[in-house]
Amino acid sequence: MKESRLMLIQYATAVLAVALVSIHLIMQGVIYPYATAISFSNILSIYQNGFYAVFLEALLVIVLVHGFNGVRIILHEWRQTAPWSRWVDVGTVLAIVVSVGYGTRTVILALFGGVTA
Amino acid sequence: MTDVRLLVQRFDPLTDEKPRFAEYSVPKREGMTVLDALLYARDYLDHSIALRFSCRQASCGSCGMKINGRLRLACYTQVEELGGEKVVAQPMDNFEIIKDLVTDLGSFFAKHKQLMPYVLRSDSQEMDHPSAEFLMKPEELEKVLQFTYCIKCGLCTSSCPTVGTDALFPGPQALAQAYRYLSDERDEGGKRRIDALDTAHGVWRCHYAGSCSAVCPKGVDPALGIQLLKRHVMSGKARSEGAEVWKQQAAAAPPLK
Repeated sequence: MKESRLMLIQYATAVLAVALVSIHLIMQGVIYPYATAISFSNILSIYQNGFYAVFLEALLVIVLVHGFNGVRIILHEWRQTAPWSRWVDVGTVLAIVVSVGYGTRTVILALFGGVTA
Repeated sequence: MTDVRLLVQRFDPLTDEKPRFAEYSVPKREGMTVLDALLYARDYLDHSIALRFSCRQASCGSCGMKINGRLRLACYTQVEELGGEKVVAQPMDNFEIIKDLVTDLGSFFAKHKQLMPYVLRSDSQEMDHPSAEFLMKPEELEKVLQFTYCIKCGLCTSSCPTVGTDALFPGPQALAQAYRYLSDERDEGGKRRIDALDTAHGVWRCHYAGSCSAVCPKGVDPALGIQLLKRHVMSGKARSEGAEVWKQQAAAAPPLK
């Protein structure tokens, strides 16, 4: 993929992350007091709401893509050999896939009753 | 007449392990530039000082160096504006030192050439045997005019933090020139240039520190050029319509005699 497309993704995920993380923080600290927000039963109830499950999945994907892409950029600037660049690109994709997969597993399990209080 | 303390960083990679400073006492005179002071020291005090210079009027870009911690042209910096008592001359950062104040600008010019700093066109017949002038509208010229003032002194590239860490990054000078030609209505080399700079080590590695623009002795704003270049690349405009625009202008222009 062209670097300009990757940077477009980086900018778009940055903007979306600001919006979604703000909503997330409001939910965790304003709508619910923080002590209540982090109780296991409350978190589970959030995951079991279809709307919030989609929201959390979107948050997961956007933040991970933005974060790992940012690390990729730093690693590219750190060293400049062709093998290093290739491994950085492959490693970034793998890291995103594995992390999103693991996070999605949690969302799906919680949503469909695989986790109980 | 008072003297100015001139500290010159000396280093010969063939014989020295690390740089050292040599101090010279140079008689100060009104209007004396740092280059004047260095030439006095070289001519009368120590013939072995190595420095590069040519025009002495901020046109050739040869005498770029770090003066009192800031990147400047030695011929364009008066001793008096530095306080008039102490001048510290060091070679530019981000370049290999050949000797003392002389740095190797080979990679700098190679990167400049890599982004094809000239008008690229497909009609080679017209280029070789022009039927009319390659005209440019004044408003088109205004878009790129400041970037044509670049004298390739290397100060912007020396100041760039990304160049310091990423050896493959083209640097502010080359990227600003790439923008200058990409924006030229007569140019048709958009795709070739964009392919060369839309890479993992290309234009996107500029983090907009802005130091390039701060040190340019000619008032060019390479940081602005790079941001405009990013917009140009992001928009996906690989200019090929330039030929048509030029043909229309050429048709309206008087023929060459």
